[in-house]
Amino acid sequence: MVPISLYMSLAAIMFTIGVVGVVIRRNSIVVFMCIELMLNSVNLSFIALSRTVENLDGQIAVFFVMVVAAAEAAVGLAIIISVFRNIKSVETTDAAELSA
Amino acid sequence: MAIFIILAAIILVSSIGVVAFLNPIYSAMCLIASMLCLAGLFAQLDAHFLATVQIIVYAGAIMVLVMFLLMLLNLKYEKPKKMRTFYSIVTVLVGILFLCVILPPLNDFFSPFAGAGSQVVGDVKSMGELLYTKYVFPFEIASVLILAAMVGAVMLGKRTYGKEK
Repeated sequence: MVPISLYMSLAAIMFTIGVVGVVIRRNSIVVFMCIELMLNSVNLSFIALSRTVENLDGQIAVFFVMVVAAAEAAVGLAIIISVFRNIKSVETTDAAELSA
Repeated sequence: MAIFIILAAIILVSSIGVVAFLNPIYSAMCLIASMLCLAGLFAQLDAHFLATVQIIVYAGAIMVLVMFLLMLLNLKYEKPKKMRTFYSIVTVLVGILFLCVILPPLNDFFSPFAGAGSQVVGDVKSMGELLYTKYVFPFEIASVLILAAMVGAVMLGKRTYGKEK
């Protein structure tokens, strides 16, 4: 029997790695993948807590998080394609026309 | 316990690989490995339906979409610049500091619940009973959300033939 604090610690470490990835990386697709990593870590903590509370509501929440992540993946990648068509690059530093 | 340690080790190494590899295809492969091992952890937590949905939807649809995009865009490697490397190291240190601050109280808070919960199994029947009775409204709204996302993605992906002429 694995104690739940190990699952929550793993979720916290995954989330932090995702945040560090969003800040460090310049490629928009890798930034998107780090956002998916953060969503996965939250899914893990939801399921671990759902098992502790002995309720299935946490797993329903994970189901809806996955639905929203799929919708966000479709729209977000379409946005990346549109930006790529205009500036011919996926680097975030190349989309800096609004900054001084 | 041994399964948890192996899967958690692969997840941690793959997550660091997502951030660390300069080639975006390697990052995507590391993320797929992380998602598959996470599905194993879901199965160990008795969430059988969600483990399967994780493999089908996340690793099998979303990451395949990302790989298609990486194939079509045909990118070069991300080049690390000197000042960028300094900020990267600072960010990693801040992340490690954050973990050092937040992990001990998290472990202390969850240690009384160490042996709890093995009565609930997230199989298809129980999830279906809950989805179609208590959560039927979010379920229907989720279908509208997916429709909106599909329409939005198609509209964003179209070329504007009127303006190019």
